[in-house]
Amino acid sequence: MKCKVPEGNSFEKLPPANVEKVSSAMAETGLCHSVSSQERCRGIAKVRFKSRVTVLICLTWFLVITCPFDADCKLFLDLENPQLSKMPIAVPDFVGQGASLINGRDLARIIKNDLYLTGLFHIVEEAPPDPQKPADSSDFDGWSQTGAQALISGTFQVRGDELIIEAMLYDVALKKLELGKRFSGRIADHRIMIHKFADRVMEKLTSVPGCFTTQIAFVNDGPSREIFAMDFDGHNLRQMTRTGSINLSPEWSPDGRGIIFTSYLNLKPDLWAMDFSTLRPNVISARPGINASGRYSPDGKIIALSMSFNGTPKIFLITIHGNIINMLTKGMGNDISPTWSPEGSAIAYVSDQAGTPQIYIIPANGGEPRRLTLEGNYNTDPKWSPRGDVLAFTARIEGRFQICTIRTDGTDLRVLTKTGSNQDPAWSPDGRMIAFQSNRNGKKLIYVMDARGETQIPVSPITGKAPAWSRTGR
Amino acid sequence: MSSRYLIQGMIILWVFLILASGCARKIVRPNVVPSPGYAGPQVGGPVMEQELQVVQTNLKPIYFDYDRYTLSPEAQAALQYDAEILRRAPHLSVVAEGHCDERGTAEYNLALGDRRARSAVEFLASAGIAPNQLSTVSYGSELPVDPGHNEEAWSKNRRVYLRVSR
Repeated sequence: MKCKVPEGNSFEKLPPANVEKVSSAMAETGLCHSVSSQERCRGIAKVRFKSRVTVLICLTWFLVITCPFDADCKLFLDLENPQLSKMPIAVPDFVGQGASLINGRDLARIIKNDLYLTGLFHIVEEAPPDPQKPADSSDFDGWSQTGAQALISGTFQVRGDELIIEAMLYDVALKKLELGKRFSGRIADHRIMIHKFADRVMEKLTSVPGCFTTQIAFVNDGPSREIFAMDFDGHNLRQMTRTGSINLSPEWSPDGRGIIFTSYLNLKPDLWAMDFSTLRPNVISARPGINASGRYSPDGKIIALSMSFNGTPKIFLITIHGNIINMLTKGMGNDISPTWSPEGSAIAYVSDQAGTPQIYIIPANGGEPRRLTLEGNYNTDPKWSPRGDVLAFTARIEGRFQICTIRTDGTDLRVLTKTGSNQDPAWSPDGRMIAFQSNRNGKKLIYVMDARGETQIPVSPITGKAPAWSRTGR
Repeated sequence: MSSRYLIQGMIILWVFLILASGCARKIVRPNVVPSPGYAGPQVGGPVMEQELQVVQTNLKPIYFDYDRYTLSPEAQAALQYDAEILRRAPHLSVVAEGHCDERGTAEYNLALGDRRARSAVEFLASAGIAPNQLSTVSYGSELPVDPGHNEEAWSKNRRVYLRVSR
């Protein structure tokens, strides 16, 4: 079975006014004939199947159940549906004009990897395209026979240092263009252009944009413990700190312009901040004992952290300049690893006040803590999902450490990892993915998985631990 | 030059005597005859450095059970021994370094290492060491002394080291 890329929109068809420079580096525009907002589905799940008879039967049932009043159902992934099956999507190599370092296979691979990591798509790898001969729209039937419900095709053009990418998302069954975008920018930014298109694809298919231009900071797990940052898919690695000391627990500022972290720059664990514009660390809190696990409140005005100058590590709230607002937790336990609820009204943290480390939730303005984890004798490192409904954390299970999720009411405990030891979960800002460290292949690397743990792949090109996911894109 | 050899000889003798004393409570100080170049431990210099090293090498590490910061009888005995040494060196400051084995979460281990160091410091204070001589630093699981991944290595890594300086 050989399918061809349906004819895209040639560059000549696009009015020049449709391309605008968004930043100095890149422009992003919608194609003039992308799907109008009137076509937007109301209500819940709308998935269009085609091709096999059995699927058609299911489809009929599905449409009756889910779309009784809306005949205009379209390609859509309803994330609230627990029985959601993966959408088969084909991403043939992009077709290029002009010789350059860019190649169409790599561009398609970036999108495929983005979508694969959400756990929501099955990437249809059949049917390599014929790059020489753009086909007509009748090829949708060919793509349909591969099982693909959605198709992304793209073209690129190099003019000097400038790269122009056009990418389209099609509903294969309806033979309809769902989304068309044109990007222009420097060749070096080709990955960001593709990630931005993948963001729009996610928005089209789930009504929530993707976060594929975000970054992950982490600590190198070697003799050096410097903090590095990389794109979420492991590309574009760069070293952020050069302290020559142990560094721990990086955390992005909400605006993405810097990090806070714990560092032994002054030979003890103090909380430091570093603005990326200067790359110079400034101390925030250097009280006796530990000044550790600093986490910004959602509005970026307060930092929750653990300090032990009173004798026992306790959760404190401080200003971004290090002045104490209040001591949030009391008692004899070691309290550490605070994490804010997305709206900032509550904080979960680890305490061993009951003899073993367990996760508790306390109102951010103080009050009585409520114990969240009741199973097991080692539950640490809570991270509140940006969607608010669950927390990810690390649990010791049969002597190994695994990433789990649990609802905020303490129900629905799920173990997402199985092999090796896995720690330090960190949510993507859209709550769809979790970064974590795993030693499953011998050395500690940063992995990324979807929030249900179905796809798990290593992304960091060097050893790493303590990943932190930026809240903003590049 | 000869005085330096004499001093070094005395230092070696001193180390030998301390080691030979084994678990004895008392540190046997050699009866040092003042000689040119030796001005006693109150003044800095090479002799002072070596005294520091002698104290340092004689301090015993304190070991802990997994996920615990309470002092076992063995840990208390080691601290009692260390307290005897430190009591005779009131001019030295002591940093209790708290460490954990590699298992578990780095942040939780940082808190645990802090509590281990504090347990040691509180014991030393109750044994008569001046609190202003004492401080703590937790390294969590960041600086294992044994890089292995088994109980033998882990049991060595769950420790408090007392680090002396002037």
